Amino acid sequence: MTTNLDLTDIQGNIIKAYGAYNFQKARYLFLRINNGDKGRQFVDAITAKVTTAIPWGKSENGDVAVEKPRVTTNIAFTYSGLEALELPTASLREFPDDFMMGMSKRKDILGDDGPSDPENWDKIWKEKVHIWISINAPDMDALIERYNWVAQQVEASDGGVTLLTGHRGGDDEENLPYQDASVLYDESGNPTPKEHFGYTDGIGDPVFEGQTNVAARVLGRGKLMRDGSWAPLATGEFLLGHVDEAMEYPKTAPSPMLLSRNGTYMVYRKLHENVAAFNRFLDEQSKSFSGSKEMLAAKFAGRWRDNGAPIVNAPDDASKDEWDKAFEAADFAGKKRMLTDFTYNNDLHGAKCPYSAHLRRINPRGSLEYGVKEAYETPGALVNRRRILRRGLPYGAVKDAARDDGNHGIIFMALNADIQRQFEFVQQQWINYANDFKEGNDKEILLGNHDTKHPSKAVLQVEPGSGKPPHFINNIPRLVETRGGDYFFIPSITALKLIAAGMVDPT
Amino acid sequence: MSNIAGKAYAMNVITPIRWYTTWTNKLFFKAALLIPETLKGLLTLSLIHYARWVIIPRDGFPRLDPSQPKEELHYAYMLFFSNFNGSWDQYVDSFTFAIPSGLDLFWKWNIRYPKSVPLTPFHDYIRHNQIDTAHYYNAYPMAASNDVKSAQKVKKALIDFNAKSSDKSADDFLKDYHMLLNNLQHDFGDMKPTPIVSLSSYEVKKRYEQTKA
Repeated sequence: MTTNLDLTDIQGNIIKAYGAYNFQKARYLFLRINNGDKGRQFVDAITAKVTTAIPWGKSENGDVAVEKPRVTTNIAFTYSGLEALELPTASLREFPDDFMMGMSKRKDILGDDGPSDPENWDKIWKEKVHIWISINAPDMDALIERYNWVAQQVEASDGGVTLLTGHRGGDDEENLPYQDASVLYDESGNPTPKEHFGYTDGIGDPVFEGQTNVAARVLGRGKLMRDGSWAPLATGEFLLGHVDEAMEYPKTAPSPMLLSRNGTYMVYRKLHENVAAFNRFLDEQSKSFSGSKEMLAAKFAGRWRDNGAPIVNAPDDASKDEWDKAFEAADFAGKKRMLTDFTYNNDLHGAKCPYSAHLRRINPRGSLEYGVKEAYETPGALVNRRRILRRGLPYGAVKDAARDDGNHGIIFMALNADIQRQFEFVQQQWINYANDFKEGNDKEILLGNHDTKHPSKAVLQVEPGSGKPPHFINNIPRLVETRGGDYFFIPSITALKLIAAGMVDPT
Repeated sequence: MSNIAGKAYAMNVITPIRWYTTWTNKLFFKAALLIPETLKGLLTLSLIHYARWVIIPRDGFPRLDPSQPKEELHYAYMLFFSNFNGSWDQYVDSFTFAIPSGLDLFWKWNIRYPKSVPLTPFHDYIRHNQIDTAHYYNAYPMAASNDVKSAQKVKKALIDFNAKSSDKSADDFLKDYHMLLNNLQHDFGDMKPTPIVSLSSYEVKKRYEQTKA
C-alpha cells in the first residue's frame, strides 16, 4: 500500500485538476521532434519549468509546501515521440499496444466513426505529434508569458523541435499553433463549472491511496466496500510503479522502473459539442416527457444541470426543491458530500437514474451486482479497475446556439495506468455498448456515438410494478464528436531527466 | 482458427491435476450444483453464456480407434469450458475481480495454479493452458446471451399479451399495454454489430454483413 506519494517526482496535472485551483485558462501545444539530440535538450529545458504535484500553500499535516505558482507547465509524449527521443528499444517494446498504436488506430474500439472519424479531425492530427505541453494559468497574461517562453525554447532548439499548427479555432482558423481552453463564464463574468450543454462538470474524480486529505474526499469517489463505507482506490490504478487493485505492479510499465514509476498514461480528446442539436433534441423530447425539461436533462446525465445534484437523490422536480434547500443549508464539506456520496442501492431498476445516464454508465458504483446479495467479492468488483482521472476544460464559445458547426466543446483528458483496461473499456463497453447494463446496444445518451443510419433510443426506466410504461427517448442525434487526440505517456520528473539526458537504461 | 464468433468467445482450458486429489474438486462441483447460492457471482456476471468444469481421469481420454495406443498419463486433467461475450481480457478480468475465491476453490490442487490474484500469473496460467478453438459456430452472432434471454422473455410476454387482450376495451387494453412495457423495461436493448471483440478480429462486422446478404 502506498501511503505517501513522492509528490516532488509526480507531474502536477496527475494529482491536481488545475481548474479547481482557479486556473481558469489552459493552452495545449503539440510538437514534433526532428532531431534526437536537440529534442532531448528541448525536453531538458522544459523540465526545469515542469510543475510537480507538491501541495501549494500551507499544508495541514506539515508536508512540504510551496507557494502557488502563477502558471503551470506539464509535458507528455506519444510513443513515436519516445522513439524520436531515442529511448532504448528494450524500453520501447515494453510499452502497451494501445499506447504504441495511438488513438486514431484504435478508432474501431473507441467508436470514432462518421463525424468522429480521424479523417474529420483537426488538421494537426495528420502531423507526427510527439510532444504535448500544457500551460494552465489564472489569466491570459500569465498564460501567454509562459507560452512565449516555450516558443523561445522551440526557437532555441535550432530546428530540433517544431511547434505544430493545425488546430481549428473559433474564428474560422484552421491552422492555430495551439489549442486554447477556458472555464465558461456566467452573464456577470464569473467563472462557472459548466460545459456548453449547461451541465455542471468535474464532480467526483476518483480518490486513491496517497492523495492528501483522503478521508474527507473519499465518500462516493473511492471504492465502495461491503459495509457501505468508501476506501481510496489503489495507487497503481493511476500511477505506474505502485500496487494496483489486482495486488500487483501495473504491467503497462516499461523498464527500467525509474522510467515508469510515478508516471501514467493520458488520453487527450478534443470533443466537439453539437449545442444546437442538443437543445433541439431536449426541447423535442421534453414535449412528451411527464416531468420538466430540466428533469429530463438530468435523466440524460444523472445530475441536474444547475448545481450537479445527483438525480438518484433528487429524482423529480419536487424532490429537487427539497434537495436544493438542504444543499443551501449545508456547509462546504456537507455540500461536497451531497454531490458525491451516493450509490444506486435504492435505485436498482433505474427508475431514478436511468441505466443509460452518463453518470451511471461511467461509474456504476455497486450497481452491477443488480441487488444480488454479496454476488461478488466486493460491490465494485467490476468497477474499481475501470476508473479514470478526468482533467480538462471547455474550449471555444457558442456564438450561434442554433448551429452545430462552431468550434466549441471540451478538451477531455483521461489519466489511468492502463488505457485499454480503463479508458477504452469505459468508452467501448459502457458508453457505446450496454451488455453490462443488460441494455444490449443502447448507448449512453450524451456521449454515445449515435448514428442516423441506425437511430439510437434509450429507455428511461420507471418503478417496476407501478403499471407505468417506461419513457422512450428516440432518434438520439450524435451530440458529441471527436475532433482529435492521441495517447500520451506522462513521465515522472526523474524519468524526464533520464530521457533528457539520454540515460534511460533498461539493462 | 477462431476463438471468436460474432460477439461470443469460446474458451477451453485444460490443466493437469494429481489424480488422487480430484475427489475434492468433484466434491466442490457437486456442492456448487446442490447449493446454487454458491454460484450467484457467476450467474450475476451477465457476460457469461455458461461455464463448465469437468474432471477427466488419467485413463479417461477418448481414443479415435482401438488401434490408437493408450496414453500413459501421469496426471488427471480438469477441463474448463466457457462461452462468453466480450474479449479474453474482459472475461478473465471480470472473473478474477468478481469471484476470486470461487476460482481458487475450483482450481484447487491444479498443478501450478497460481491463485486468481494477483492477476498476471493467473492470466499467464490460463493462456498457457488454453486450447484455442479450431471451429466455432454461433447461431446468433449479433446477440449477447442477455439479448437472447431478453428476446425469449419479450416473445413469451407478447404471445401471452396477445392472447389475453383481444377482447378488452380500449382503456383496459392501454392499461395492460403499459403494464407489459413496465414488465419488459429491461429487455428492450437494441442489437447491433458493435462492439468488436478484438482489433485483430473483424468477425462481427463480417458476420453482420453476411446476415444482411
